[in-house]
Amino acid sequence: MSEIVFEGVTRRFPLPRGGEFLAIDRIDLRIEEREFVAIVGPSGCGKTTLMRMAAGLDFPTDGRVLVGGKEVTGPGPERAVVFQQFALLPWKTVRENIGFGLMCKRTPKAEADAAIARYVELMGLSGHEDSFPHQLSGGMQQRVAIARAYVMQPAALLMDEPFGALDAQTRIVMQEELVRLARRNPRTVIFITHAVDEAIYLADRVVVMGRNPGRIIETIDIRPLREDGGWEAMPIEEVMDTPAFTHMRSRIWKLLKAREQERPAAPAPIPATVPAK
Amino acid sequence: MPTEARSSGWGFAVPRRAVVGLATVGGALLLWWLATSGLRLLNPLRLPSPQEVWAAFSQISTGQGYGGATLWQHALHSLWLVAKGFAVAVATGIPLGLLMGWSRRAEALINPIFLLLRPIPALAWIPLAIVWFGLGDTGKVFVIWLTAFVPSVINAFTGVRGVDPVLIAAARTQGASTAQVIRHVVVPGAMPMIFTGLRLSLQASWTTLVAAELVGAFFGLGRVLNVAGQDIFPGMILVGMAAVAACGAATTWLLGRAERRVVNWRPAV
Amino acid sequence: MAKRRDRNFLGPAGTSLGLGEFWALTAAGFVLFFAVWGGVAASGWLPPNLLPSPLAVWDTLVRLWNQPFAGHVYAEHLSASIQRFLMGWAIAVGIGVPLGLLMGWYRLLDEIVTPLFDAMRFVAPLAWVPLAALWFGTGIGGPLLIIFVGSFAPCVISAYRGARLVETRLVEAAQTLGASSRQVMLHVLIPGALPSIIAGLRVSAGLGWQSLVGSELIVVGAGLGYLMVQGQGNLNTTVVIAGMVGIGVVGFAIDVLLRAVEAAFKRKWGQA
Repeated sequence: MSEIVFEGVTRRFPLPRGGEFLAIDRIDLRIEEREFVAIVGPSGCGKTTLMRMAAGLDFPTDGRVLVGGKEVTGPGPERAVVFQQFALLPWKTVRENIGFGLMCKRTPKAEADAAIARYVELMGLSGHEDSFPHQLSGGMQQRVAIARAYVMQPAALLMDEPFGALDAQTRIVMQEELVRLARRNPRTVIFITHAVDEAIYLADRVVVMGRNPGRIIETIDIRPLREDGGWEAMPIEEVMDTPAFTHMRSRIWKLLKAREQERPAAPAPIPATVPAK
Repeated sequence: MPTEARSSGWGFAVPRRAVVGLATVGGALLLWWLATSGLRLLNPLRLPSPQEVWAAFSQISTGQGYGGATLWQHALHSLWLVAKGFAVAVATGIPLGLLMGWSRRAEALINPIFLLLRPIPALAWIPLAIVWFGLGDTGKVFVIWLTAFVPSVINAFTGVRGVDPVLIAAARTQGASTAQVIRHVVVPGAMPMIFTGLRLSLQASWTTLVAAELVGAFFGLGRVLNVAGQDIFPGMILVGMAAVAACGAATTWLLGRAERRVVNWRPAV
Repeated sequence: MAKRRDRNFLGPAGTSLGLGEFWALTAAGFVLFFAVWGGVAASGWLPPNLLPSPLAVWDTLVRLWNQPFAGHVYAEHLSASIQRFLMGWAIAVGIGVPLGLLMGWYRLLDEIVTPLFDAMRFVAPLAWVPLAALWFGTGIGGPLLIIFVGSFAPCVISAYRGARLVETRLVEAAQTLGASSRQVMLHVLIPGALPSIIAGLRVSAGLGWQSLVGSELIVVGAGLGYLMVQGQGNLNTTVVIAGMVGIGVVGFAIDVLLRAVEAAFKRKWGQA
C-alpha cells in the first residue's frame, strides 16, 4: 500500500527578521495507490514544500503526512525523488549514480549490476555507463536521475519540476518517455510543475494551487478526457491540439489567474534551505 | 586563449606563443651572457656570468660539495622536510576542516583559535620553533606543518560548505546514512577546494622552509644559500635559488598529478 | 509531530545554530585557547623560558612599550616594520599592476613576459635573501627587494586577469558611442579590471607582510622580526611571543582594511 495522504497539513517558516511565513495552509489531499497526480501553481505556492514533506525532507508544522498509512518520519528508498537540478553526484559515473541507492542498501553486486543494466537500457543510456554527468546533456542527465529513482523499485515517485531545466524539444521527448515508463511501471506519483500543458498531458488528476498562503484551489480529474479522447494512442503534439486539451488548459489558466488577482504574490521568499526549527 | 599556429615551413604548425616564449628566454640568456661575460657591463660580484654559475654547479654537484654536502643531498634533505611537514598538515588539517564544515557547533567552538592564530604568518613562528626545538629538523617540520595546516583546514571547511545541499538531500532520499553521505557526497565535493588549498600551501611551505634554513640549519638548500651569501659567492647563490625553484616546481607538478587522479570527474578547465 | 531527524540530516546547510548557542561556543573557544595555554604554562610541565604564560607575555608587551629592547622601544620596531612593508609593497603594486594590465591588453607583451615570469615563479621569495643582501645591502634595499618579490606576482596576475575579463562587448559599446582609445582605457578597461585588482592587492599584501617578517629574521637591525630574533638569541621567549603578537595584529589590520576596501567596491558596483 502506498497511497499518500496529507491531513490538514500546514507549514510555517520562520522569517530571518522574526515572524513567520505561512507557506502551506491546512491542505488535505489523498493520492491513491498508482495514481499520477500533478500539482501546478505559481512559484511560492508551496508545491515543492508539499513534495518535500512526502519525501521526508521537510515536516509539517501542523497536520500529518501518511504514506501507506504510516506517518512520514524521514526519507526512505520506497519513495524516490527526482529533483529539478538533477542532483547527480558529479564525481560518480552514470553507472555509479544509478547504483548509489542500491549500494547504500548493500544490494549484492550481481543483482545491482543487473538492475542498473536494465534501467540503462530502458532509459536509452546505453554507451554512457562510464560517463561522468558533466559529459552528458541536460536531458541525458535527467534520464540518469529518473533511472536512479526507478532502480530502487519505489512504491512512490516524487518529482519536483523534473523537466524544468530542459529546453523545449528535450522536454517533449522526456514527457513522452515518462508516460511510456509510467504505463509500464505504474507507481504512485506526485509530479510538481508550473507548466499547465505538462500537468494535463501526464497526470490522472491535476491539483491547482494558489499562493499566499499556499492552498488547493481545485482538483481536476483528467482521466475521463484522456479515455474519451483516446490520448494514449496519440503523439503529444496532437493531444495538445485537441479541443478538449485546449479547453482544459484555459480552464486551469483562468483558475490560476483569478486567484492571483485576488491575492498578489507573497511578500516573503521561500527559504532555499530548511531551517532546523 | 586562442593559440593560433603559424606554419613552420617544415610541414607542421608551431604555436606563436611557443616561438615568442623561446625567443624571449633565449634573448634573456644571451643578454645575461653579454652583460656579465661578453661585454663585462656588470661587476661579477653583483651578477655572476653563466660560466661561473656552471662552475659553482659543478663544484656542489660532485665530491665534497658545498656547505657540508652535495647539491643532491641538500635538495633531498629539504624535500624530505617539506614532505613530512606537508603530510602531517594534510593528515591533521583536512579532518579538522571537514569536521568544522559539517558541524556548525564545531565551527563555533574552534573558529576563535583560528581567528587568533591565522594572522600570524608561519614565518613568524621560526624563532619560537628554534627556542622549542633547536636548529634541527623537528623545528622545521613544525613550521612547515603550521604553514600548510591553516590553508588545509580553511579550504576543507569551505569545500564542505560549498557542497550543493540538493546532493545531500538526494543521497538521503536514496537511503544513505550519515557516514555514506560524508564519504560519497561531502568529501568528494570538498576535494577540488582542498586541492586548491594544498597548492597554495605547498608554495608557502617552500618559502617557510628556506627562511627556516636561512635562519639556521646544518643541511638543506637554505643552508647552501646562507653559506654562499656569507662567502659572497654569487654563482652558488644562483645555483641555490635555481635548486629551490626546481624543487618547488617538481613538488607542485606531483601535486597536480595527484589532483588529476583524485578529481578526475571534472571538465578540464 | 513526526520524529525529528538527527542534526545535520541535510548537511550543514540544513541546520542553523541559535545566536545564544553560537556565542556561547565562540566564547568557550576563546576561553579554551587561553586556558590551555595558561594551564600548560602554570603546570610547570614546561619550563617558563619555553612557554611563558599569557600574562607574562602581556607584562612583557607593556615593558617593551616603555623600555628599549634590541635598541628600540616596541613602537619603533613596529613602525620600522610597517614603513618597510609599505615601501616594498607600494613598489610591487606600482610596477606589478600596470605591467599586468599592459600584459592583458597587449598580446606581444604577454607572450614575452609570461615565460620569464613562469621561470621565476617557483623561486621562493626568501631564497632571494642572499642576492638581495649582495645587491642592496642589509639596511633598507635588501629587505625591500624581498617584500617586492613576495608581493609582486599576485599584483601582476590579478591585473592581468582583470584586464582579460573585461568584456569585449563593453569595449565595443564604448567605441560605438564614440569613445577614444584613451577614454576606453580610462572609463572601461581600468574600472573593469579594478575588482580583480583589489582582490589581488589583498593577497599580495598578506604575502608581502609575510616576506617582510622573513627578511627581518635574517638581515635587518630593527623591526618586529629583528626583535624576535634578539629575543630568541637571549632565550627570552616572552619577547619572541610579544613580537608574534605585533605581527599578528598588523597582519590582521592589513587584511581587515583591504577587505573593507574590497567590500566598498563591491557595494558600489554590485557584485564583482
